[in-house]
Amino acid sequence: MNGEVLVFLILASLAVIGGLLMLNLKKVVHMLLSLVLTFLSIAGLFIMLSAEFVAVVQVLIYSGAVTIMMIFGIMLTRHQDEQRVQKNRVRTWVVLIGILVFFYTMYEAITRFVSVEQASELHIENTKQIGMALYAKYVIPFELTSVLLLVALIGAIVLAKREEEEEVKQE
Amino acid sequence: MDIGTLLSYPWEIMMPEFIILIAATGLSLTDLFLPSRVNRRIFGWISAAAVLAALISLLTQAGSEPAQILHNTYRLDSFSISFKALLLFGTLLVLLISTSYLARSDVEEQGEWYYLFLAALLGAMMMASSADLITLFVGLELLAIASYILTGIRKKSAESNEAAMKYAINGGIATAVTLFGFSYLYGLSGSTNLGDISREISALSADHGHALTVAAFIITFVGLSFKLATVPFHMWAPDIYQGSPLPVMAFLSVVSKTAGFIILFRVMLSIFPTVQGFQPDESLYQSVMIFVSIAAGLTMIIGNILALRQNNIKRLFAYSSIAHAGYLLVPFVAFSQMMFESTWFYLLAYVFMNLGALAVLHIIISENQSAHISGFAGLYQRSPVLTVCMTIFLLSLAGIPGTAGFMGKLHIFIGALFADPSRYVLVSVMLVTTVVSYIYYFSIMLHMYMRPPKRYTKITWPIGATLTIALCVAGTLLLGIFPGAALQFLQEYFWFNDMFTLN
Repeated sequence: MNGEVLVFLILASLAVIGGLLMLNLKKVVHMLLSLVLTFLSIAGLFIMLSAEFVAVVQVLIYSGAVTIMMIFGIMLTRHQDEQRVQKNRVRTWVVLIGILVFFYTMYEAITRFVSVEQASELHIENTKQIGMALYAKYVIPFELTSVLLLVALIGAIVLAKREEEEEVKQE
Repeated sequence: MDIGTLLSYPWEIMMPEFIILIAATGLSLTDLFLPSRVNRRIFGWISAAAVLAALISLLTQAGSEPAQILHNTYRLDSFSISFKALLLFGTLLVLLISTSYLARSDVEEQGEWYYLFLAALLGAMMMASSADLITLFVGLELLAIASYILTGIRKKSAESNEAAMKYAINGGIATAVTLFGFSYLYGLSGSTNLGDISREISALSADHGHALTVAAFIITFVGLSFKLATVPFHMWAPDIYQGSPLPVMAFLSVVSKTAGFIILFRVMLSIFPTVQGFQPDESLYQSVMIFVSIAAGLTMIIGNILALRQNNIKRLFAYSSIAHAGYLLVPFVAFSQMMFESTWFYLLAYVFMNLGALAVLHIIISENQSAHISGFAGLYQRSPVLTVCMTIFLLSLAGIPGTAGFMGKLHIFIGALFADPSRYVLVSVMLVTTVVSYIYYFSIMLHMYMRPPKRYTKITWPIGATLTIALCVAGTLLLGIFPGAALQFLQEYFWFNDMFTLN
């Protein structure tokens, strides 16, 4: 086992553990922190793949912006701090078996796949290459994404905006 | 790449998309600067006119050679033109129903309503005209996000809020699954272009790549089945259709479903038919069809059986739309020469009969303020014309001869029987479930003709819904009596095989 595999295993298991903790913890803020753990480990995985730009974006947007958004969401809404869920034993087992079967299938499929060649030049100017691809080859989906963001923005305003009568009452 | 190369591409082929985009942004800016006391009703007619203009500009493209911009990130071929026509026409009818719906509803955001619909339509159209996974995915998300907002736009209704929440969560899961499937397609081929993916995957040797390719197919299918509302991702439909405003329900059950079939056809048919299958003489597409045919069979059975127990008319139509999605998967499984024709024809028939029925439903629900099936009681004594229209739509949905629905089903049957190999089991499941569907469609008719009405007030005909009903009755009957006209139009102007000449 070389160092690369070791680092990969540590990061991957941290990502999975973060996800599991997120599902099983009781307090909302703790859930959020375990989510940050997952995001950061995934950023680490991106660095291992020589995708520094994506890694930095991952840290900035997911661990930074999304998390802050969620903290605001938690602070500004009245929420049940503690979450109580009745655990259904049978369902837990069925889900667990399903996950194991799926994992085994995918594991078998992946081990049988022999990649022909390893990409070795991924790290060369990769931010520049992303920029070139984004503004040349992929300019149509890029522009479409701006429409998508506009729709999301309008949607957020539509759904969160207070009605005018209510505002008058509040004042 | 400099601006010269960028401008040298044939951007005029994107005309229909540009019309919709300009209308949507123009309306949103007008909405921003228009004083709030001005009524937004005119927006409905403007957006309907924009959709009509886009439809006309699309139809002038019929019969043109396949064209593409920037490595197939935008692609115009017979498949995209013909199916985009369905999307535009369906949205046009939904917008007409909206004009009557908004006149009587508690929705405050009347301006937003229309440009969100246009944005959703734009997403669906991009899904129809691209052969690149990235554009397809962005289009899919644009459609999805606009639909989530529209589902929850009645902010004061708890039902609508619940539906939007469920839709967003279920949709998020489905998106994750779809992306997981796409990631394997990308990983196996190193490209997002469907033509390149097909070539790279075909070049893999069977022992090495097969298992992963099959996994990629199944995961992608499961993710995309959310938009179609077929097994295994069908249970969201009844709750969300029930909670969402009626025109949004119409949009989800017709336009969004059509868009789902479009992306399914595009992705699966571009990649898998050229890959070597399990047996030496079949393609991988045919080898994995066993999974899809099980899903199709289950969809037909579950949709039709559960529809029998519904008293809420919106839930009944939700289960009926699940069942119709099951029928529509049959040509996809059969993979015969007639696959595109029969799917297109059935979807066109479905646009007419389902939107017509939903327009009638809109009139009934706004009269009674409830979606219970008893709202139809004694409709014949109150308004014979409306009853006859509804009867035509129900007969067509059930598949009675003389209507569009019958011709559509017949086409699917013939296609499945003449396919190689013939799909006898699937065809018999379809026959039996069709007969089961008679029970619930006829129970609505029983209410309309046999039960006494609760009150005798006259039924008002709002203009948008009336227009829709008139168009849909004409379409349902004409397609039922002269199906050859539509099919001849298809054969004359469209060569679906040009979908496969990707480069």
